[in-house]
Formats: sequence, structure tokens, C-alpha cells
Amino acid sequence: MQLSGFVDLVIIGLFRGGIYALMALGLALVFGVMNIAQFAHGEFYMVGAYAAFFCATVLGVHPLLAWVLALVCSFAVGVLVERTVFVPLRLRSREGWVMNAFLLTVGVSFVIQNTALAWLGPNYRGISEYWKGNFSLTAGLNVSADRLASFAAVIVTIGALWLFLQRTRIGRAIRAVAQDERGATLVGINLSRIHTLTFGVSTALAGLAGAVLLPMTQAFPTVGFKPMVLSWYVVMLVGMGSISGAVVGGFIIGILESFSYYFLGGGWQDVVVLGVLILILLFKPSGLFGAEVKGIWER
Amino acid sequence: MEIKGRSPATLTVRWLDRVQSTWRLLGISPLGLLMLVVIGVAPLFIKNDYIVRLMVVCLMIGTQAMAFDLSIGFINVVNFGFAAFVGLGAYTSALLAVDLGLSPWIGLIMGALVAGLLGFLLGILTLRLRGIYAAIMAWFVGLSLMALVTVNVDITRGPLGLVVPLFFESSDQIQYFYVIFPIMIGTLVILRLLTRSHIGLAFRALGGNLDAARASGINPVKYLVTNFTISCSLAGLVGVFYAHYFGILTPAIMHTKATVEILAIAYIGGRGTLWGGLLAAFLVIPVFEYLRGLLAYRWILYGLFLIVTMLFYPGGLVGVVLWIGNLIKRLLSRLRKGP
Repeated sequence: MQLSGFVDLVIIGLFRGGIYALMALGLALVFGVMNIAQFAHGEFYMVGAYAAFFCATVLGVHPLLAWVLALVCSFAVGVLVERTVFVPLRLRSREGWVMNAFLLTVGVSFVIQNTALAWLGPNYRGISEYWKGNFSLTAGLNVSADRLASFAAVIVTIGALWLFLQRTRIGRAIRAVAQDERGATLVGINLSRIHTLTFGVSTALAGLAGAVLLPMTQAFPTVGFKPMVLSWYVVMLVGMGSISGAVVGGFIIGILESFSYYFLGGGWQDVVVLGVLILILLFKPSGLFGAEVKGIWER
Repeated sequence: MEIKGRSPATLTVRWLDRVQSTWRLLGISPLGLLMLVVIGVAPLFIKNDYIVRLMVVCLMIGTQAMAFDLSIGFINVVNFGFAAFVGLGAYTSALLAVDLGLSPWIGLIMGALVAGLLGFLLGILTLRLRGIYAAIMAWFVGLSLMALVTVNVDITRGPLGLVVPLFFESSDQIQYFYVIFPIMIGTLVILRLLTRSHIGLAFRALGGNLDAARASGINPVKYLVTNFTISCSLAGLVGVFYAHYFGILTPAIMHTKATVEILAIAYIGGRGTLWGGLLAAFLVIPVFEYLRGLLAYRWILYGLFLIVTMLFYPGGLVGVVLWIGNLIKRLLSRLRKGP
């Protein structure tokens, strides 16, 4: 295999990985801060995809505005879910929070997915493109403008989230809650608000991923399953709750996929990635970057 | 002389005692027994194929829910790859029948064995992991099984689906009913005896607090692996029945969605009760069948059921039944005292 082909595969992997990183970031955030293992993450991807579709076709707004509206929509749905489902569970749950919350997200996923099915039907809804045009990055690789734009959106969002978490007061409060809930309460952080906000941000990230990928994958009720599973791969690869690790892990999984797709053919990429993940769970459950395993996660 | 004369009577008493103690171990109330008998003889009187078919599906889902409950309700591990083991049993028997012409009846044994073997391996894989990690591990193993079945198109025909020979020539539903009914009864009896013996106690101890259980001398390796093996081989058994009942097999049977359905039924029935899953299957599935016109709404209802059960009635349907039973008992005792 020539060097140029190798570079092509890496670039394809990076493009794929960007979306995984964005999804996994939300997953890691919500797991690190709220100890919720999100199974309904893909459903918010679906919400974002539908929102972007209706904004782009029915309202006919500019793609960037459509993305922002999709972000807002999935944020709102996320906040609604957190307020109606997880707040009552938090009030009632004494032990086994992680497991109960996980199973509850399974129910949430059922409800959201089938609400979409009942409301919008099983049809595929997609748009052909946000922007026209192709760019040739290397000799053998043509990339559509939409892919470039989605990659740029991913990078900008990850950067913005990074600044938000590191530089703002609220971001610092979120990180404080992730480190120690009791300590955070003691210094006067409103836990309930931080939880709602974190959940909303996480679902908004998933929604954005769905919106920017709309030209590549159309919107339909179960569209979120695949991205959700992939973001779980990423999170388990780098260690649950490791927020900065999730970004790197997204790119690793993306590159791993593009290579195994190229060398082994379609379908095998799942087998390869899963094999690697099972080995990692077996020998280093804390993940590649050794994120700290909280006691509560093992109960 | 005297002793000789008395011994047969003692023997009968002993025999009766043993039956009674086994019965107590089984712990099936007269009402429960009555319901099982009613279910067992119902198809003889109902000549409607559609209803018997519905009952077969209920029994299938109920048996799966019971097997699933063995790991979720006792050792507190969510086997999130459960459907993959159902599919594994199904594919084992189906491929044996299609490629080697093996009878489905031998397939029942082979499917359960292969699924049990993989369950044994999964038990070893998840040994060091706890809580959510174990669930994710089981999920990934299940997903990779499904990916393997989907990819090996030349063996399994992948998503195109495998056409499988049926158990019987005729499509008379009663025959199928009397295949799955003994499977269900067997599962119920085995799981009951198991969970009411010291092994079940060890399961509960490990599920409650693994470190404390280990400190009091329970070997986690032995019991966790046993649990997974039994649960998965029962899953495989039902899978074989599925394959030779519907006659067509696609990788969709191994999808996470199938696991989630079983999970929902087990949870709605009541976690850690075993027969709750059966009860929920017989209550929920016919209702859903009735609501078929509403299409997606019934799945929304499913999810809402699960959420509401988890949030407000962690005891599930069995909890409700027990509550009603207690209420009746209290009323009766009050009536007796009253006058």
C-alpha cells in the first residue's frame, strides 16, 4: 500500500472520528458528572437530525442557523427528560443509582424513538446537501463541502466546550460536581441546576452531531442507534468519564474503523473494534487513559 | 415384630414428607399451580389457532424473561447481550438442521449446550467487572456475536435470513404449544429449585454485596459463572424453539432491541421474582396484540411502563399481586375477628 493511500485512510478516519468524538463527549460528560450511563444518547442525535431537516426544508433557513436550532431543540428535549425522569429517580434512589439510571435511559430511549415513529412515520427524511461542491484534499481523495463543514463544526464545538468547561464559572462548577458532589454542595453550587445543565449540554452535542451529518445519513426513528453504540465504544476505550480522553478516543475509533473497513471489507470493522474493546475491558477496565474509576460506578 | 409392622407406614410418611419439602422448596402457591394448570390445558379447549399462537409467544417471552431474571434479579448483573445468546442457540440448531440435516429435537440440546458454553465464557469474561462494566461487557460480546453472524454471509446468509425446517409438518399450533410449555415448566422448576437452595442464597449474597459475600466464604468465580451458564443455556433453548417455530432466522433476533424487550418484561413483572416475568408476558403481550392498530403508540406505552415501574413500583406486577394478597388476608382476619 502506498503512502498516499495511507494518508487517505487516516483522513477518512479523522472525519468519521470527529463525529464520534462529539457524541462521546456528551456521553462522557453525563457519565462523569451525573453517573448516568446514557443509553438514549442516540435518540437525541435523532432529535437533532429531524430538527435540522425541518429547519432546512420547511423553514428554509441558512444551514448554520438550522444547526443552532437543532442544538437548541435537543437541549430542550434533554432538559425536559432530565426534569421529568431523573429528578424523581434521584429523589427516590437510595442505592444502585448507576444501574437504575442506566435501565431508565433504556425506557427513555424506547419512548423517544417510538414517539418519533408514531408522529413522523418510518420514512427516511434527508437533504442532499447543505453546501454544494467538492474539494480534493489529496490526489485520490475527494471530500464534499458538507463533510468539511461538519468537521469544522465538530472542531469548533469541541473547542468552545473546552473553553466553557475551563474558563467560565459554570464550567468550573460542572467540573467540581464531577469531582465531588458533596464538596460542590458545600461551596454553594446548586447541584440540581448543574445536573440539568450538564444533561442538556450532553444531549445538545448529540443533536448537533445529528444535524451536521444530515446530508450523509438521513433522519429516521432508529437512526441514533449506530452513533450511540459507536460513542459507547469510544467511552469504553478511553475510560468512562474521561472527558478529554473522549475526544482522542473518537479519532482513534474512527481511524481503526476506516482501516479495518479498507483491509477486511464492510461489516468487519464492528468485529475488529469490538474485539479490541473486549480485550481492553478485560485487561484494563479503566480504559486507555486510565480515567479514575469512581466507587459508585462499580455498584 | 412391632417395628416390622410399622415400617411401611413410616416409609409413606417419609415419602410424603419429602414431596412436601420439595414442594415447599418450589414455593408455588396453590393459586399459582392452578394458573399453570389452566394455561397448560387451555389449548385443548380453545380451538382458535390465533389465540394458541399468542399463548406460544407469551410462553416464549415469559421463559426468556425468567432466564434473564436469574442474572439481573439474583447476582445483580444485567446481561445486556442476552438476545445474542437466544440467537446463538437458534443459529446453532438451524445451521445443524440445514447443513447436516440434524433433527430439531437434537438441536434443542445442541443449541442449549453451545449457548451455555458461550455463557460460561461470558461469565469468565465479566468476572472482574462489576455493575455497569459487566453490563457493557455483556453488551459488547452480544454485539460482536451479532456482527459475526451478519458478516459471515456464506454460512448464515446474513440479513437475507435463513430458512429453517420446522418442528412439525403441519402448522397446528397445539403441537408447538406442547413443546414450549414443558420448556417453560422445566425452566420454572429448575430456576425455582436453584434459587431456593443454598446456591440461590449465594447468588443473592453476591448480588447484594460482593465483597461481604466473599469475606463470608462464598466463591464468586464458581457462582457467577454457574449463573451465567444456566441463564444463557436456557436462552439458547428458547432460541432453538424460536428458530424451528417461525422457520426464518435473521440476525435481528440478536439485536439489542430484543434484549431490551425481555428486560422490560422482566422489570415490569418484578425483578428477582422469576414468575413475575411469566405473569408480565401473559398480561402485557395480549394487551399489546389487542392494541395492534395503534402501531407505534404501544411501544411508547412499553417504555412508559418500564419508566413508571422503575420509578414508582420497583416491586413490579408481583409486588402489586402480593400487595393485593396481603390486603385480602388482612380483610379476612378482620372479618373473622369482627363478630
